[in-house]
Amino acid sequence: MTTLSRGVELTDDPDRVIAPGETFASVTDQIAGVVQRPVTWLFMSAFGLAFTGVMMLLIAVSYLILKGVGIWGIDIPVAWGFAITNFVWWIGIGHAGTFISAMLLLMRQDWRTSINRFAEAMTLFAVACAGLFPLLHLGRIKYFYWLIPYPNTMGLWPQFRSALVWDVFAVSTYGLISLLFWYVGLIPDLASLRDRAKTRFGWMSFGILSLGWRGASRHWTRYQTAYLLLAGLAAPLVVSVHSVVGMDFSEGIVPGWHSTIFPPYFVAGAIFSGFAMVLTLAIPLRALFRMQNLITLRHIDNCCKLMLVNGLLVAYGYGSEIYTSFYSGSVYESFMTINRFIGPYAVGFWTLIFCNVLAPQILWFGSIRRNVIVVFALSIVINIGMWMERFIIIVTSLHRDYLPSSWGMYHPTIWDWATFIGTIGLFFTLFFLFARLLPVIAMAESREMVHETDGGVHPPRKMEPMHAR
Amino acid sequence: MKSDETFSIEGAEPMEFAPSVFPEPDEDVEVTRRRFLQVMGASLALASAAGVGGCTDKPTKEHIVPYVKQPDEIIPGNPLTFASAMPLHGYARGVLVTSREGRPIKIEGNPDHPASLGGTDVFMQASILSLYDPDRSKAVTHGGDVGTWGMFFDQVTNRLARLRGSGGAGLYILSSTCTSPTLEAQRQELLAQFPKMRWHTFDPLARRNTAAGLRAAFGRPLSVQYDFSKADVIVSLDSDFLFDEPASPRYARQFADARRVRADRLQMNRLYVIESTLSITGSMADHRMAARPSEILSLARELAAACGTEGNGAPKDVSKHSRRINAAADDLRQHRGRSLVIAGESQPPHVHALAIAMNQALGNVGSTVQYTQPVELDPPDDQHSLASLVADMRGGKVDTLLILGGNPAYTAPADLGFVDALQKLSSSSALTARLGQHEDETSLHCQWHIPESHYLEMWGDARAFDGTASIIQPMIAPLYGTKSVHELLETLLGRPDRTGYEIIRGFWQSHSYAADFDAWWKRTLTAGVVENSAFATQQVPAPHSLDVSREAATAATSLDLVFRPDYTVHDGSFANNAWMQELPKPFTKLTWDNAALIAPQTAMKLGLEHEEVVTLTIEPRSVEATVYVLPGLPENVVTVHLGYGRERAGQVGSPSDDDEWSRRGFNAYALRTSEHMWSSGDLSIQSHGHKRHLVTTQNHHAMAMPGFPGPVKREQLQPNAIVTPEMPEDERDVNNRRLVRVITLPQFQANRNIVKDLGGEVEKKSLLSLYPGPENGGWDYSKGYQWGMSIDMTACIGCNACMVACQAENNIPVVGKHEVDRQREMHWIRIDDYFGGTLENPQVHHQPVPCMHCENAPCEYVCPVGATTHSSDGLNQMTYNRCVGTRYCSNNCPYKVRRFNFLGFADAETTEQRRLQRNPDVTVRTNGVMEKCSYCIQRIMRTRIEVERMQVELSERARRADDDVTRQQLNEESQRREADLIFGLQTACQQACPTRAIVFGSINPVAGKKMEVADLKNDPLDYSLLQELTTKPRTTYRARVRNPNPALESNTGGVA
Repeated sequence: MTTLSRGVELTDDPDRVIAPGETFASVTDQIAGVVQRPVTWLFMSAFGLAFTGVMMLLIAVSYLILKGVGIWGIDIPVAWGFAITNFVWWIGIGHAGTFISAMLLLMRQDWRTSINRFAEAMTLFAVACAGLFPLLHLGRIKYFYWLIPYPNTMGLWPQFRSALVWDVFAVSTYGLISLLFWYVGLIPDLASLRDRAKTRFGWMSFGILSLGWRGASRHWTRYQTAYLLLAGLAAPLVVSVHSVVGMDFSEGIVPGWHSTIFPPYFVAGAIFSGFAMVLTLAIPLRALFRMQNLITLRHIDNCCKLMLVNGLLVAYGYGSEIYTSFYSGSVYESFMTINRFIGPYAVGFWTLIFCNVLAPQILWFGSIRRNVIVVFALSIVINIGMWMERFIIIVTSLHRDYLPSSWGMYHPTIWDWATFIGTIGLFFTLFFLFARLLPVIAMAESREMVHETDGGVHPPRKMEPMHAR
Repeated sequence: MKSDETFSIEGAEPMEFAPSVFPEPDEDVEVTRRRFLQVMGASLALASAAGVGGCTDKPTKEHIVPYVKQPDEIIPGNPLTFASAMPLHGYARGVLVTSREGRPIKIEGNPDHPASLGGTDVFMQASILSLYDPDRSKAVTHGGDVGTWGMFFDQVTNRLARLRGSGGAGLYILSSTCTSPTLEAQRQELLAQFPKMRWHTFDPLARRNTAAGLRAAFGRPLSVQYDFSKADVIVSLDSDFLFDEPASPRYARQFADARRVRADRLQMNRLYVIESTLSITGSMADHRMAARPSEILSLARELAAACGTEGNGAPKDVSKHSRRINAAADDLRQHRGRSLVIAGESQPPHVHALAIAMNQALGNVGSTVQYTQPVELDPPDDQHSLASLVADMRGGKVDTLLILGGNPAYTAPADLGFVDALQKLSSSSALTARLGQHEDETSLHCQWHIPESHYLEMWGDARAFDGTASIIQPMIAPLYGTKSVHELLETLLGRPDRTGYEIIRGFWQSHSYAADFDAWWKRTLTAGVVENSAFATQQVPAPHSLDVSREAATAATSLDLVFRPDYTVHDGSFANNAWMQELPKPFTKLTWDNAALIAPQTAMKLGLEHEEVVTLTIEPRSVEATVYVLPGLPENVVTVHLGYGRERAGQVGSPSDDDEWSRRGFNAYALRTSEHMWSSGDLSIQSHGHKRHLVTTQNHHAMAMPGFPGPVKREQLQPNAIVTPEMPEDERDVNNRRLVRVITLPQFQANRNIVKDLGGEVEKKSLLSLYPGPENGGWDYSKGYQWGMSIDMTACIGCNACMVACQAENNIPVVGKHEVDRQREMHWIRIDDYFGGTLENPQVHHQPVPCMHCENAPCEYVCPVGATTHSSDGLNQMTYNRCVGTRYCSNNCPYKVRRFNFLGFADAETTEQRRLQRNPDVTVRTNGVMEKCSYCIQRIMRTRIEVERMQVELSERARRADDDVTRQQLNEESQRREADLIFGLQTACQQACPTRAIVFGSINPVAGKKMEVADLKNDPLDYSLLQELTTKPRTTYRARVRNPNPALESNTGGVA
């Protein structure tokens, strides 16, 4: 049992969502303090590493625009490769944020409080990374806006039967609502930071961003109504976005894509990978900023349980896919499945089975769910597994489809890797900036939590959502 | 001339175009608006003037005449077609050249020419690109430095003046195979002036064995020609007659025509092939036997004996093949006068003599076999051979050596030491000069290099396989300061100023007996053939009976090496032609490379693996090669193709430094000796223990062959794609994609629905579909023109002519070896080769795959911007301008016929010269845009516009007409002309196909008449690829029908 600097004892009581002995002031000081402290060398080097990734992305994208998508390993028959894999992966990661914020809010899960802020930020940044790929993968990037319905002299509209058009709407709506939700949630905290700002620049910028928040009870009433409404809007998006992404594939007649299970199975997969990424971020974060009192083992434990449930759903999806491919009696479907088992990409397939189906089974054990080291490692494993899942779905389906004469392979090039790793750099760069500039945990909500748990002494009342009163 | 007013060009100036291309733009010609209008106004003159006037010379008075169509006025933007002929290894193949504003851009076969019958081969199609080859030599060079024609002229005239005293002793000319009557006349004149001069011919693909066989059989030189249309039973003794006979396009047409089965035509010929490699002819065989080259003579003897050929004496040893040989012989005997035995050039004269004897005994002479006087000027013999020239070069007898065409320094047999002798000669006081299109290996060792004209920019003439002469018309003025062989010879004759036009026209004027020569000349140019110039059939006596029994078959050594001309670069002369380099070769689908082909059994025995680097040694010479494991080759045989390993072919055909991707195979000539031109024993192979990657367009060359390990590891998963009635029902239904349906003629006779039955359940059900029909927003296909295509897999010989034709027609870029390896080749039509049968005796099926133009196209609904849509006439269209390049259409295309321009190939690859070849009717696609077969929509639209214009005109006249009778007549005329126009519409692949395997047209009746494609689609042999997907492809296939000998293969399919 570790002891925090303030003498507060950390607890591994899974009932607690906040450590005992916290006060309004201690919570605010701790969270706002992160923003107000000078940067450390550790932070700077981590940031520098991530920023190198951004520079790499910049080079890769510049070269891409200069030469065309031919610099990647895509070919005929595998005309989609890393770009779409990465897109689906990032979009999936972006799911946990909204799920935690909106779904759990509506379901009155109080424990979301400590993690919703950075999960939402994670969502935003993941969606930003994801959104890059459909643009970059176009043969003619300069005409990306033709996918958007706008009145034009050509009298042409997008072709609405294509799921790629639905994708434009789904992803952009999701990005917009996530941004709004995140920002609205930030307003009271921005006001706190404004009030604590030590420089004129900080004071001015936080002042503008906080939109004149004074903490009046009327503000709180309106604020809470708006937040709830946004939650209501955002919740269906959790389902819709990845359903549409799933439809991107199931709309096609490619064996391995053409499956009605894709939408729900993609959503489950998305939440699965989203929670994996939340844990990947939360575990170092709470250690780095000494926030074990706010992000308790209860959070970790709950995330793990959700991950396990979604992992099982994903496993069901795999099983269903395999079963239907044989049950269909279609030679193409069954061949595709056998090809995944023992074909040239079999290593990838078995990797994903290990990562996404077998490895998460250890989460049945409570002791493991509360062992942060193991959970952290597992979250990385699941991130890899989910990336591999998308890769296998895209590449193995395409590389051996109907006519054997057109079969081929996909060999990613250095530019594929540079773009992929570059977006990881972009993601962490944005995340590091967020962690330095904005409160990573919702201060106002944490104060509420302190109030409701009487300083963390009692379990919270589970009757009402925090803002709904 | 004066009478020919239509074509009078007096006063018209040649039109200038793309002057930057040419080294010496003519300063006199400046295009002003006024001049431009003047030229436009000069009507027809424009075409001929722009055709031959070009830019480098003064306005010309040479007249060339467009083929057949003689429009009243030229409309800029409309193509003109001219008849000409392409000499390929001396023999003419009749071509129609499409010319756009003075630029020849496309080659078609001339239907009136006996060698092509309207079809083409890959070489005819690709020759248009060779014209615009930027690596062609552009100037006279002397010792590598740029010289002038005048300098050369002075030197050579001085020499000749000196030699004249000695009667020309010391003057040597080396040419490749020639059939040109004009050249012959020039040669005779030269011989008259220089009686002691020597004229040698050398051609690496010369038909020496054929000629020697004929001479041995009949005691005098003759040419042989075949008529496959009359042959019911054909036996090929190592002859790839669909590819390398002088009349291959004709033979292919006749052969395929006699194989076309329809519900109402239940006959087909039967082909037996005994061959020492795997050839496209072998892939068409009903019975094929792979034998070592040395075994074929004894097999031929056995066959001859079984056919009752007298005088050959039955061989004492009856081979293990006797059952098959006897069955073939019985078949031949039962079809006396309607059978044919054909021996390949790769076989020794004795096999030819046996074939001649068999044809005689079978009564085929006069029906399927005919003999004529020799077509070649110098039927190859020893006296005029390269060997005797080399001996004279070594013996110091050569004072002046002119090498006309060819590339002997590269192609000469390795044992002659030709290069060495030439080098020594060039560094002596002798004069060596070389006329060639490229500064190649031969030019390197000659003192002088004279740039040679391409056949599309010169006047000339040549004979076809049967002696039919054609005049070669220039389609464009020489791009560079080049000379034709006739102009060079005329210089030697002391008439340096005579133009090619004067030479050729002068020759024919003195040799034509036409009363009105001008009319004759015009008629001849229009038709593309000199009328009645075919040689008369010669009555031949019974051939000498050769005692071949004493000709002991060469003792079988451990391994044989077989040489073959390459299916794309031929003898190496197309090595710098990027289309040919990128064209996937039949069976191997290799591009930009050659390989040492080895059968799987042999490879296993020798412990060799696919792509292993080996040294092929025939003492004392050796080359380094890469192994390609190909089923179908005889055991203990290694096949190599000529034409690779060029050192000075140009940027395309020769490697550049330090670039692994620029490697262009190995030089098989290095192992070829004058004794062993086509096969050689005593081959040994040493493995280097490492592999080198071979670039192919199909990684699964042994597709559909269970049990074949596959060239690449981890590719054991081979789906069944071929379905035959012999297969048990459960095997047909489970795990079979039914892409290739193969039946036999008796099976079809017994059950007309057999092809549909092979399709399984889906053929019987009417499948539900979510695609919109006419009732909910889809097009109504019951009206108007509805384009469709039928591809006959029984007729397709896999020659690739369609692929090159498509590339030329549709401005398809070349992507290069590395990009082919990355699976980004751009061909809009491809030939899929499926291997059936057994590993030892495979049966190869060629399946050309263009866009299917599915009525329910999976590519269309996934495009987010609607760049690919369906037209009301059933075309799946691609709007390049609208494409943003998501590539989902390609992913969703089950036939994978879409091609994506990954790296702006059309921009990167293109030189100024190359751009001249482009078809102005077809968009050049940019980077990042999807493209695919359009059914040649530019041709469709051109025809539709003509139809509509005609209809508007006639309906207007009908409206003004006074009486119903006239109206009725006009209406009928409109119908008739519409049918004529639409029935004449052909896609590029269809037009190129020598066997007419591809039929295109409207599946709805046109002007009340049913088109052929509609009939073919109603025929019970018709089937669709991947029918269960309910895509309703407009391109459908006709099942492959085989005609096995019942004695060898029972109806249930057991191969005896």
